[in-house]
Amino acid sequence: MTRTRTPGISRRSTLALMGAGAMSVAAPWVARAQAKTVKIGMPTILSGRVAQLGTSSRNAVMLEVDKVNAAGGLAGRQIEMVVRDSKGQPQEAARVARELVNTDGCELLLDGEASSGSFAVHEVARDLGVLCIHTCSEASSLTADPKQHIPNSFRCVRQGIHDSIVGGSYAAGIAKAKGLKKWATCSPDYAYGRDTTGEFTLYLKRFAPDVEVISESWPKLFQPDYTEVVTKILQAKPQALYSCLWGGDLTSYIDQANIYAMFTQMEVFAVNMADYTALTVVKNLPKGIHSGNRYIKSFPTTPENAAWGDAYKAKYNEYPTNWSWQNATAVMFLAEAAKKANSTDGKKLAEVLKGLTIKCPFGADGTVTMRGDDHTLVGYAIGWGTTIPQEPYVPEVKAGDWRTIFELEAEWKKSKGYT
Amino acid sequence: MTELEAGRAQVLVPVRSGAALQRYRDVLIALIAFAVLASLPFFTGSKALLDFVIRCSAYGLFATSLNLLVGYTGLTSFGHGMFFGLGAYSFGLIMQKLGVPVPVAFVATLAITAVIAAIIGAICVRLKDIYFAFVTLAFQMLIHSTILSWASFTGGDQGLRGGIPRPAFLGINLANHVHLYIASCALLILGLLAMRQIAQSPFGYTLRMIRDNAARASFLGIDVWRAKLTVFVLAALFAAMGGMVMALFVSGAYPEFAYWTISGEGIFINMLGGVSTFLGPMVGTVLLLLLNDTVTRFTEYHGIVLGVVILFFALGLRKGLLDFVAEWFSHRDAGEGR
Repeated sequence: MTRTRTPGISRRSTLALMGAGAMSVAAPWVARAQAKTVKIGMPTILSGRVAQLGTSSRNAVMLEVDKVNAAGGLAGRQIEMVVRDSKGQPQEAARVARELVNTDGCELLLDGEASSGSFAVHEVARDLGVLCIHTCSEASSLTADPKQHIPNSFRCVRQGIHDSIVGGSYAAGIAKAKGLKKWATCSPDYAYGRDTTGEFTLYLKRFAPDVEVISESWPKLFQPDYTEVVTKILQAKPQALYSCLWGGDLTSYIDQANIYAMFTQMEVFAVNMADYTALTVVKNLPKGIHSGNRYIKSFPTTPENAAWGDAYKAKYNEYPTNWSWQNATAVMFLAEAAKKANSTDGKKLAEVLKGLTIKCPFGADGTVTMRGDDHTLVGYAIGWGTTIPQEPYVPEVKAGDWRTIFELEAEWKKSKGYT
Repeated sequence: MTELEAGRAQVLVPVRSGAALQRYRDVLIALIAFAVLASLPFFTGSKALLDFVIRCSAYGLFATSLNLLVGYTGLTSFGHGMFFGLGAYSFGLIMQKLGVPVPVAFVATLAITAVIAAIIGAICVRLKDIYFAFVTLAFQMLIHSTILSWASFTGGDQGLRGGIPRPAFLGINLANHVHLYIASCALLILGLLAMRQIAQSPFGYTLRMIRDNAARASFLGIDVWRAKLTVFVLAALFAAMGGMVMALFVSGAYPEFAYWTISGEGIFINMLGGVSTFLGPMVGTVLLLLLNDTVTRFTEYHGIVLGVVILFFALGLRKGLLDFVAEWFSHRDAGEGR
């Protein structure tokens, strides 16, 4: 028997090669944090399908950081942002977050990750003990579930459960007024789609008990063709349709459903419609789609909010997204907390952030609060309205009532075994 | 014993002792490599370097196990990532739900992977070439979809949340960064050594024969299907080990671990490092992770850079880096011999 192959290169040279690779990583390629500046690390999604949202997060953060720096910085230290792409992969998000803290010397983290990535960064924060503010993940369990709770992590994001309560009560009002009893749903087939739709119908039925869901469709996430779904809904002949499709999925769905004149045959409730990324992309935006607010500069109807939207548009030549206002708010919280604590130390900031209320253009009453017991954002502007095909797209938004939200949220937490 | 057999036996004796010698050498090199890696934390305080080596262990085990299929057996699996994901999820779920000691969860994960790989493999290895590739990809998507839709058990698209508990065992505390690092290095070295033994064993040479001419192997009395199934299951076990290291590193498991992109990265690593040498995939892993980590520091257009690199390897070198280096050395030696 002879060997079919020569033994290959010597192991010595292979080891030398691997050693060289390892050395180049070990090289001290980054300067330690300078005492003067405070570095804030931000892993977010800058490439791939939702890159637009990640970029809009970075833009909003930079807009606010420039303001804070011009006003003297965080407790006298200028902020230096280190924003890095995670490609939307949780293992990359974890790696990048660790690298930002361990190698780049970032003292604080803004977590611009969605869904699974935010949970991966949450574990990094748990492990390293660094102060972390989640700015993009709407998954309610991130802060509602006590198992997730860590003292150094906060969430400055709207929440699925809040949206469902407000959406359910708004839709029930219209259902009663117009006698809409037969409903259909059409939402993306993943945790967000299923949970949000389930919670919406739960509250819709609670406020309008004679509503009946007669058809459910679960298109795949990022599905290109919705013909089958559209015809299925049309055959079921519902009086109203609920959908939590978002972004490109929502716009392609609307463009395709327009061909079948779907929007003239039923009332449509699409929670993610009133976001500029969707509003400006749809070819023929139908009149009268009901939508929750994502970011729209006409709601809340304050000069501060309009001015913020315009300033963003002036700087980046596009409108902000839902992720933008959340990230901007996180920087506002940090600035205010640093002022109160007169420090940039993560532990001291975390103490101050608990229960902190700040003035904010995106607040329902001009302020937002970081709720102390579960470290999550409340009091932000939340409401529903109907679309028109041109600016301001959603001229009138009916604001949700935070008292109802708190009441039902507490009930929901109990039902989930969180309290 | 016929004359022919007697002649063959004479040839076999030095080959056997040569093999034993090589085995000792492999073990020695493994020990030295482990000693070097394990002593790193004493020389550098760089947590980033330790993180890098942990990730190299996870991807290195995965990519090298893929090479057992692609390079040694000629089975181009597009779905090998399913075992990476399976390892991460099984380990994470066992630790979260049952709270057993880490070694128990480790062995249980390997057992689960072996059973599932045997079932999937029994169906897949009957097929050849593109059919094999596609059916493995289909099974991968099946597992990925199962993870996504079985949300009550797996956490759906948000993954296993709440962290993986890591109780200390035998004085090893995996929640400690340095302990985790040393454990990852040990798993990597043990895994590589085991795979090297498989590759250099008579079974390993049977695999090469199947790759080069399956019909001939079959005529020589080799049960091709059984050999292919065995290597499919073995490769799955090492991929699952890689998945477990990754799960420990991120303290969770996410559906992305079982997505086809992970398999794609494995193939990419093999292209980068080369499939004709045992350490090719390991070199590819270090190269890919280095490239990824440095390029993403500077630009979000890393896709373009990685694309150009792969084009360079595919069209320029037409082989992996270590293949290229190996050829260069053998050419040089041949030149000296003249």
